[in-house]
Amino acid sequence: MSHNIKILPGATVCEDCTLEGDITIGGGTVIHPRVTIIAEGGPIIIAEYCIIEEYSTIIHKKSDQQENPPKPLFIGAHNVFEVGCKLESPCGHIGESNVFECRSYVGVDVKIGSGCVVGAACHLTAPQTLVDNTVIWGSEHHIREALEKQPSQLLQLDFLSKVMPNYHRLRKPNVHKRQSSTRQSQEPSPKP
Amino acid sequence: MAYLTQPDYVKYICSCGQLKPITSLYFCRHCLKIRCGFCICHEVDSHYCANCLENMPSSEARLKKNRCSSCFDCPSCFHTLSTRATMAQPRQTPQDPAGGDTKVESKQPKKMYYLSCFNCRWTSRDVGIPDQPVASGGWPERTNPFAARVNQLLDYYKAIALQEKQEKIERERKKFTIRGKYITLTDKTGLTGAMARNIAGLPSSDSSCSAIANFVPSQASAEVEELPEDYYTKEVNLNQITSMPQRLASPEWQPVSVSRLHPLAKLLSVKRSQRCRVCDHNLTKPEYNPGSIKFKIELLAYYHVPEVKIISHEPVKAGEKTALLLKLTNPTGHEMQIKLLQPEDLPPPEEKEEPKSIEKSLEKSLNLEKDTSSYKAIEREPQYSVTSRVTSPPTALTLAQRDDAAEYDDDAQHDTTE
Amino acid sequence: MELQDTYYNKSEYVETASGNKVSRQTVLCGSQNIVLHGKVIVQSDAIIRGDLANVKTGRFCIISKGSVIRPPFKKFSKGVAFFPLQMGDHVFVGENTVVNAAVVGSYVYIGKNVVIGRRCVLKDCCMIEDNSVLPAETVVPSFARYSGSPARLITTLPEATPDLMTEFTKSYYQHFLPTTVQ
Repeated sequence: MSHNIKILPGATVCEDCTLEGDITIGGGTVIHPRVTIIAEGGPIIIAEYCIIEEYSTIIHKKSDQQENPPKPLFIGAHNVFEVGCKLESPCGHIGESNVFECRSYVGVDVKIGSGCVVGAACHLTAPQTLVDNTVIWGSEHHIREALEKQPSQLLQLDFLSKVMPNYHRLRKPNVHKRQSSTRQSQEPSPKP
Repeated sequence: MAYLTQPDYVKYICSCGQLKPITSLYFCRHCLKIRCGFCICHEVDSHYCANCLENMPSSEARLKKNRCSSCFDCPSCFHTLSTRATMAQPRQTPQDPAGGDTKVESKQPKKMYYLSCFNCRWTSRDVGIPDQPVASGGWPERTNPFAARVNQLLDYYKAIALQEKQEKIERERKKFTIRGKYITLTDKTGLTGAMARNIAGLPSSDSSCSAIANFVPSQASAEVEELPEDYYTKEVNLNQITSMPQRLASPEWQPVSVSRLHPLAKLLSVKRSQRCRVCDHNLTKPEYNPGSIKFKIELLAYYHVPEVKIISHEPVKAGEKTALLLKLTNPTGHEMQIKLLQPEDLPPPEEKEEPKSIEKSLEKSLNLEKDTSSYKAIEREPQYSVTSRVTSPPTALTLAQRDDAAEYDDDAQHDTTE
Repeated sequence: MELQDTYYNKSEYVETASGNKVSRQTVLCGSQNIVLHGKVIVQSDAIIRGDLANVKTGRFCIISKGSVIRPPFKKFSKGVAFFPLQMGDHVFVGENTVVNAAVVGSYVYIGKNVVIGRRCVLKDCCMIEDNSVLPAETVVPSFARYSGSPARLITTLPEATPDLMTEFTKSYYQHFLPTTVQ
């Protein structure tokens, strides 16, 4: 399975992380060490400019009522997964510019829009849809709507992609941009 | 730190009868008694802001209603707000004259500051507070809509309190002066009390009189504003309505809608010193600097009373003997004699002997002199239940003084154990 | 209660000349930027991100299993800067805790499963209880005991906390023994 990992040019992916299944990592994305991404129920596509920090886990879970061919778990651009967060989703769609704070948990059947913040140590287990700019915080899972989108982390990505190669062994990008876009759209469909 | 993370296994008896862990007890060096937070005086030493760690004189603190002038709490989640800077392009047509002065340099983006909460992502822009050109302070202060009335009431009650006090003094005086013997100046000349006060150079009570005279009691009215037409039909958006804690956090405004939430000035913290009620000596006195963790005076039981720790214990079974292994530590620089007593042998509180019977013969003799002092602190019998019989070693144990040098020797056990 | 002995596999830990005991199963990124000031225990699966900025700890710190020590960043108009993370003496960091603080003073106890937000300042002598979340840029004053999510002041610590913490970390170090000793 592990040969299905596609890393686009410009992505910074540490070697010290577990990637299993059909995973596509977009350009500009930074994956810190000790990250676990498991695509057992279907492919995972991570778009550009995401930050995935240490001990984060993203699992595309197998489920019984799965469509055939399995739908990919698509994670939009500019998402930040902070240390120790966990995302389990069989058919989720994650929008753009979300922040999953430290040790947060997003369970199955949670659909997330754009610009949302799942606060530190918040656990979302019930089926729900977060509309754009939702902020969840605290032990009582208070919800409020933010006025504006979360600021982008482009500056941090800039820094990380400059510094990380000096200290870490990285996985090399293995897909060229043109190829990937065609393969991305084709590959999931012919699979039985 | 085991004391903070584990339940309190070993409790000591305070002179007031409370059972507490050694860490929350004090040891008055002058009464030679164990004291706890319940039986000592707590005094405010200084006010400071827990966020910016600035000291504030107590007079200023009272004026500012015990709130910091530069730090704010989030009105939505009560976490401390942070100041964030943005680059703002000043508008081409500045509305205020202050903006006009800087027109020459207004081509450059100016740094503007706004308040933002990192917990719930609330920002001062959410409620339309304009960004500020300076990093701290300058945030618009809102005045309480009822400020005038509140002040009026304050003046009124102050005046009443003053009047009652004066009347009481007057009455006391009358009680003790035998009437008729002397004719007072006021009686003779028909001067009013106010004039007499003036002559005597006492502050006139006019202001208080006027405050009472001019006071208008509020009127209850049966007329209540009609509810809006769509009150029952309009759909409620819970995201737009404030919660009870949010309303109660700003009692002057009690905003109903989240768009009326304003930053809350942060409440100040205090440094406090503690004083023995019996002898009025300080038990603890912290250093003035808010960031300092040092104490000028620190009479803690932890430094004076032998520490008892449970090393191991067996489950207690009915009718059987079980072993309990204790570790006793002498924190003082003097040798210590310790005798383990039965619970029923515990001396009653009238006798000045510490529970766990720490006997320091020298200090005991000193104690006798202090015995006559009046006891403001109430001493009670401790309340605890005894479910088992303790067989203790009959001999007194001697604990050697604390070996300060042991700390530098890594391999040695640094305390005397038994 | 007296602390119980904790045993570790001797082959798993490296002991340095200054008495640091560091598990081999840790991720010490940019180890040239990490200074452990002696008698520090770093347990397995802990991550210290020295690659982002310098990390300095004092003496007798305990960094438990699965915790992440990560210098915080701050955005400026011209880019992002990661701040060095300083930790005082006698600091305990519980299991699976994330520390993004800028400064952690001395005699600080941080429980397990705690999240310390970016650029927090923990003053000397404070305690964060288990499972708490400290939002970014919080200042925890001395002798404060914080708990909850978001963490709030719940009570104060006893005046003897520096001594209690010193004793705790020292005896933890003394009771942290290799299994092959017996």
